[in-house]
Order: sequence, then C-alpha cells, then structure tokens
Amino acid sequence: MTGPARSPGTADQAIGSYLAEIAAGLPGPASARRDILAELGAGVADSADAYRRAGLNPAQAARSAIAEFGSPDRVAAGFRTELAAAQARRTALTLMIIGPLTGILWFTAALASHIGRLAPPWEWAGLPDGARLATHLATIALATAIGSTLFTLAATGRLTRWLPARPTASAAIAAGSLATVDIAMLAALTILAAATPGSLAALPVAAAAAASLARLSLAARAARNCLTLRAAYPAATPTPTPSRWRWWR
Amino acid sequence: MEGTVALLPMRGQALKGHLDGMLLAALEHGPRHGYAIMEALRAGSGGQFDLPTGTIYPALRRLDRAGLVRAMWAEDGVRRRRLYELTPAGRRMLDAERHAWAEFSAAVTTLLGSRPRPVTP
Repeated sequence: MTGPARSPGTADQAIGSYLAEIAAGLPGPASARRDILAELGAGVADSADAYRRAGLNPAQAARSAIAEFGSPDRVAAGFRTELAAAQARRTALTLMIIGPLTGILWFTAALASHIGRLAPPWEWAGLPDGARLATHLATIALATAIGSTLFTLAATGRLTRWLPARPTASAAIAAGSLATVDIAMLAALTILAAATPGSLAALPVAAAAAASLARLSLAARAARNCLTLRAAYPAATPTPTPSRWRWWR
Repeated sequence: MEGTVALLPMRGQALKGHLDGMLLAALEHGPRHGYAIMEALRAGSGGQFDLPTGTIYPALRRLDRAGLVRAMWAEDGVRRRRLYELTPAGRRMLDAERHAWAEFSAAVTTLLGSRPRPVTP
C-alpha cells in the first residue's frame, strides 16, 4: 500500500541516508562529527517541514530539502576544514595541559636529585656531555613545541580570519616537538643514570620518566592523527576569506 | 564581449566573499539557527542568494571559532537546534564590513555607472 502512512518513514529514511553519506565524508574527532550531524539533521528537518507546509507530501518534502542542502560531497567538503581545525585545536589544548605537567615533574626530579637548583637545563653543572647535549636538544624542541602550540591555538581561535584555515601542520609540529622533548629527556636520564648511578632521587625521577613516556605516546599519536587528516583530505576549495581580501582578486 | 562571459561565474564567488558579513547581519536582531538564517538571507535578497543551504553551516562554525558568534543548543519542543548569537566582536566586525562595503560599492557605482566615453575612431 502506498498511503500517506508509509511516507513519513520513507522521508525519514531518505534524510537519514543523506546524513549518513555526509558522515562518510567527515574525518576528525567523533564528538565534533556528532555535533555537526545533529545540527545538519535539524536543519534538513526544518527545511522539510517548510516544504510540507507549502503543500508537498512528506517524501517530496524530504527530497526537496535534501536537494536544497546540496550534494553530500559538497556539504562534507565544507566541514572538512572545520574538522581539521577542531582536530588541530584539540591537539594544541591537550599539549597545553600535559606539557607543563610533565615539565613540573622533571624539574621536581632534577631538584630532588640536586641537579639544577631552579636553573634552566643548559646551566646545570656536572652533567655528562651526552646528557648536556640531550638537554640542549630538549630545550630547542620545547621552544618549538610552545611556539607552534600557541600558533595553532591562535589560528583556530580568534585569529582564524587571518591565519591558515586548517593549521594541522603546526599542530603536528607542536606534537612532534613535544615528543622529541620526551625522547631527549629520557635519553639524558639514561646517560646520567649510567654515568652516576645512585645520584638520582628514584621516586621523582621514576614519576617524571613515566609521565614523559605517557606524553610521548600521546603526542606521537596526536601528530599522526593530524598528518593523516592532512594527507587524506588535501585542502580543497578555500573557505570564504574576509571580503576585504577577496574584493581585490 | 569577453566581459559578459566572465561575469556569470563571478557572481557565486562574489557572494561567497561577502558571506561572513551577511551571516552576521542576519543575526543582528537576535539569535537564530542555521536554517532560519538561510531563510532570512533568501528572503532578504529577493532570491539572489542561492548557495546550497548545507554550505552555510561550516561558515557559521568558522565564525564561532573566530569569536564573532556564539553557538548554543536549544530545544523548542519540536527539535534541538543550534542557535547562533552575535558577540560584541561580531557586532564590531559587522559594522566594519558595512562601512567597507559602503565605500567599495560607492566606488564601483561611480565607475560602472558613468556612461562610456565616445570612442574616437
């Protein structure tokens, strides 16, 4: 039977499969995807309601609403830049939280082992050459990580109109640099422990090393996520830029 | 001649360049959800605004990230919708866009509106 009773189900199905097609083209954090699909779903339903009020039957109304919203490819492409930015921002925020925590643990470990006395690592006296080199490397990598994290936060926040639309590269650099800090610190620790066994405060050092290992795996995974996203969806159509730049094109 | 051919594809591009300003303007008198914004743009432009509706949602999210609008979920008994509201920064940006547009369109009107000079053979 083809009565109107069947139509609403068919209409909902059509909208459901339209949203599923869009979802298939959306990469990135699951929570951001869910949010986008909920918003789009409400929009398509609003549009279908408007077509029904204008006199179309539910199935026709759903088809018209879907046509009005545009092809799933085109809609998904529009969101990809946003999702890449969301991924980059989430990475940068995570680094902002776990970065200083691990840093504090290392400084505590250094103080407890009577190295450093609140001086920056490059002024620590009595370090073996290898360990000194590793702490230099960690310092440079840390500066890079901080710089690119701040850049990513700016580009995905207030300054988004003036900076790259999807700073997945700077987020990946931030995460990669932070991973390098951890590798260098663990290397310095290994060299130091081998050179002067027994001179280190076991508990704080173990805590710092464990935190560094955890941060290393987290940062490496975050960097990989950003790069994968970047590789899978090369920058397509640029998002509309501020009109003041565009007028002169 | 060549000019006529180039004009048609430019229209979509020109529209896209002003999307931000128009979205902000649609929120000037209070919060709206995506579909209501689209309806306002369509009605306000006499049908000239013909972007696929799905493409304004990413633009709204970008404005949200830029701090020009604030997004919040609201339930009205029919369904849950994401509402967008102008922030003070968004209001300032809207003023700036309006000002820039007034200057630019005045210049274009002057240039396009003048009659072509008689060409000396």
